[in-house]
Amino acid sequence: MNSEIQKVRNIGISAHIDSGKTTLTERILFYTQRIHAIHDVKGKDGVGATMDSMELEKERGITIASAATFCEWKGHEINIIDTPGHVDFTIEVERSLRVLDGAVLVLCAVGGVQSQSITVDQQMKRYKVPCIAFVNKCDRSGGNPFRVIQQLREKLGHNAVAMQIPMGIEARFNGVVDLVSMKAVYFDGDNGEKVRVEAMPAEFREEAEEKREILIDAASMFSDELTEAILEERDIPEALLLDAVRQGVLKRELTPVFMGSAYKNKGVQPLLDGVTRLLPCPADVVNEALDMEKDEAIVTLSSNTRDPIVALAFKLEDGQYGQLTYIRVYQGVLGKGETIVNVRTGKKVKVGRVVRMHANQMEDIESIPAGYIGALFGIDCASGDTFTSPGLSLTMTSMFVPAPVISLAIAPKDNKSQINMSKALNRFTKEDPTFKTYVDEETGDTIISGMGELHLEVYIERMRREYKAEVETGQPRVAYRETITRTAEFNYIHKKQTGGSGQYGRVAGYMEPVDEDFVFDNQVTGGSIPTQFIPACEKGFRACLEKGPKMEFPVTGIKIVINDGASHSVDSSEMAFQAAARGAFLEAYAKAAPVIHEPIMKVVVETPTEFQGGAMGLLNQRRGIIVGSQDEGPMCVIEAQVPLSEMFGFSTVLRSSTQGKAQFTMEFSAYKQVPKGVADELVKKLAKDKKNAA
Amino acid sequence: MEKKEIIRRNPLKMMGYSSEDVLPEGGFGALTAHAGVGKTAFLVQIAIDKLLRDKNVLHISIDEPVEKVCLWYEQVFRNIVERNHIKQVDPFWEVILPKRFIMTFKVDGFSVPKLEERINDLSEQGIFLPQMILIDGLPFEEMGRKTFLDLKTAAQNLGVGIWFTVKTHRHEPPGPGGLPMPMTGIEDLFDVIIELQPDGKEIYVKAIKGGPPKSEIMELALDPSTMMIRNTDGKLAPESDRSAR
Repeated sequence: MNSEIQKVRNIGISAHIDSGKTTLTERILFYTQRIHAIHDVKGKDGVGATMDSMELEKERGITIASAATFCEWKGHEINIIDTPGHVDFTIEVERSLRVLDGAVLVLCAVGGVQSQSITVDQQMKRYKVPCIAFVNKCDRSGGNPFRVIQQLREKLGHNAVAMQIPMGIEARFNGVVDLVSMKAVYFDGDNGEKVRVEAMPAEFREEAEEKREILIDAASMFSDELTEAILEERDIPEALLLDAVRQGVLKRELTPVFMGSAYKNKGVQPLLDGVTRLLPCPADVVNEALDMEKDEAIVTLSSNTRDPIVALAFKLEDGQYGQLTYIRVYQGVLGKGETIVNVRTGKKVKVGRVVRMHANQMEDIESIPAGYIGALFGIDCASGDTFTSPGLSLTMTSMFVPAPVISLAIAPKDNKSQINMSKALNRFTKEDPTFKTYVDEETGDTIISGMGELHLEVYIERMRREYKAEVETGQPRVAYRETITRTAEFNYIHKKQTGGSGQYGRVAGYMEPVDEDFVFDNQVTGGSIPTQFIPACEKGFRACLEKGPKMEFPVTGIKIVINDGASHSVDSSEMAFQAAARGAFLEAYAKAAPVIHEPIMKVVVETPTEFQGGAMGLLNQRRGIIVGSQDEGPMCVIEAQVPLSEMFGFSTVLRSSTQGKAQFTMEFSAYKQVPKGVADELVKKLAKDKKNAA
Repeated sequence: MEKKEIIRRNPLKMMGYSSEDVLPEGGFGALTAHAGVGKTAFLVQIAIDKLLRDKNVLHISIDEPVEKVCLWYEQVFRNIVERNHIKQVDPFWEVILPKRFIMTFKVDGFSVPKLEERINDLSEQGIFLPQMILIDGLPFEEMGRKTFLDLKTAAQNLGVGIWFTVKTHRHEPPGPGGLPMPMTGIEDLFDVIIELQPDGKEIYVKAIKGGPPKSEIMELALDPSTMMIRNTDGKLAPESDRSAR
């Protein structure tokens, strides 16, 4: 490992689906001589790109799991995490961005800023990750890097500036002009490995000068020295300009844009120069932790290798040698034989084997210093756990885990599959916090839930391939919820006084709709309910939230206020007040006009304009509300709000209606009330299911 | 009760028009001002009023993404409900959302035939039929009279009126008749032209063509912090404006 932390870069490569992230990573590994042959993502040789090590990834041509590797470029060590573009695998992006210092946002020169580009941009904002952009596929018909830069500004609000201009576009694309040096850069050799720098052809001079002015103007906001040089009309040294751009990047107020075509082996080496020159090293990033002994006071970590260890486990993988825990060290040095503490569980663990990852291969190392990412074997922990030296009680804020929106009942086909399915589910749920599983108490069905159809499809396929567990799947289930729409009072007595010790408790108050999941407000005065029983009341109310009285869906959006009650000196107990609370809940709930809510998805369809009408029709038929349509030249982007329950099988229908040329993304938007007709259907179905179960 | 209260504050009725439907079928209205003065906010207020009256509004934006237009509506709607002290916002929002359709185009991608094709796609499938159209951001200097004539024909066929925003420039003097320069040569196609006039800290709203009867004129201004319309409480129009007329 490089001992100079200034020469380390931990970066992620993020983008919308099919923008070319994995192909780009493959080229980066090739030019840095980490690999010695290039394999295409869905290549004829069937080998697949290095970072797509999972068979399923190679077959489908999609990245499912994020993969880590490292390489060296001009004396810098670059640790790269290649992440999926599908929103179904969003947890992988969350994990990676949580622990990385910088990112490359890859955009397609044809598609530009697409729906998942917006999601990853929001994720980068959440974790304050500086980024540079790479407009890929400049060789494709319809490719226009400057349109993409404009979209970066308009749709993502980035202060995006070109660092290059393309020499030729679409099929004529054959290199770039670097606006800092004002030289032309060509990529020769069978795989573009030979970079040739020459004087710029005269035909590009005017455009280059115009774009350079824009670049200098934008960069001058971050450097007084550069501003002075401009005002004094001096020549601007390259280093001065790059330093100013870097300042803008570190502040996340400037996004330099590089361009090229990874597939055609053009533009990657200057991007690597951009990564090393413009993105932060671990020491440039302020990392904070919370001190659990000081009321979660914020503590800035030093990134000093001599300080106590602070590290974050961000990804788990269960392999043949046991659990592999990917870990980012923020402070200190995590070495073999070291004793560290899992802050969440309080348990001490001794570090065994320490490795560095290259896709699915590993290399044993002695330690992981601050600023680096590595992996540990044999450490039992959860994703998001903080590890520290003994005596320290700091915790890193964990990553955001979105709630699942779709579930499916699965059943093993035979006994052997049952055992293997359990093993598979144990492993997958541990590795992926957005993938959950439970057994339905009433039906005995095993239910899996996740972020989308693709998410669940992939896990079912992995169960089959990796665990030889054949399963049958039921109809997808939607995560409905219940809530109330008006205020209702309650005044409930729970009484069982038939001789001997009894139970007594009275709870009075009201429930009303609220924007949060659940609020409990104790306004009891004068001790009408003794203080020691108030938590029991709350417990009783909370117990009712799990299965709503109306349809047995989880209940949300309720505020309960208790303002009166009564107790008995002998017969009142926690159990009595819990029962009273449950009774009070049921009493008021029926009067509070409960309704059913369903998850509404933000659906974005990108389609050639000739299929726009048909695509809108499909969404409309699915109770979708079309928010709008955006004309993007030959393509049109349609945004709609559609109930999740109507989206199953949509991809098949869309594909057949648009000759396979349209694609869509879907992510959770909000919960909304279901129409009466749908509510009636759900009631009927519940009654039928109960009858069948009986 | 609350919906009626919101509707009572329709910007056009507040200006003194007898009805909020000031444009005839095929009629054009224009909101003119310099950049950043509040044209879009004003337009969105007109749109929200229409939506609350259960009418369909097609909002066409040139060079702005759908999300940005959505944000305008959310912001203006939030200001309206806050001003009217409405607690439960969702019921109103859920009602108006299906009645609004946003279409965005690039400048060079916009044409009347394309717009008509898009609208036909929607209406033939029963997805959406506009009852009012807003066109925000159309560069008037780059559009010829023919474009507006074609738009008028399209509006007449649909039986709707169209409101436009017209960006004027600070350094540009008014055109003939005191009308904004970008409208020179096409002013006859417009039934109503409203100007937003910044004067110091105030932004006054003045009808410079097709205004309400003199006896009904109300002095209006935009609140610069929220871009919401308010009465000026009897304040007169700025001196500079009166002398120009």
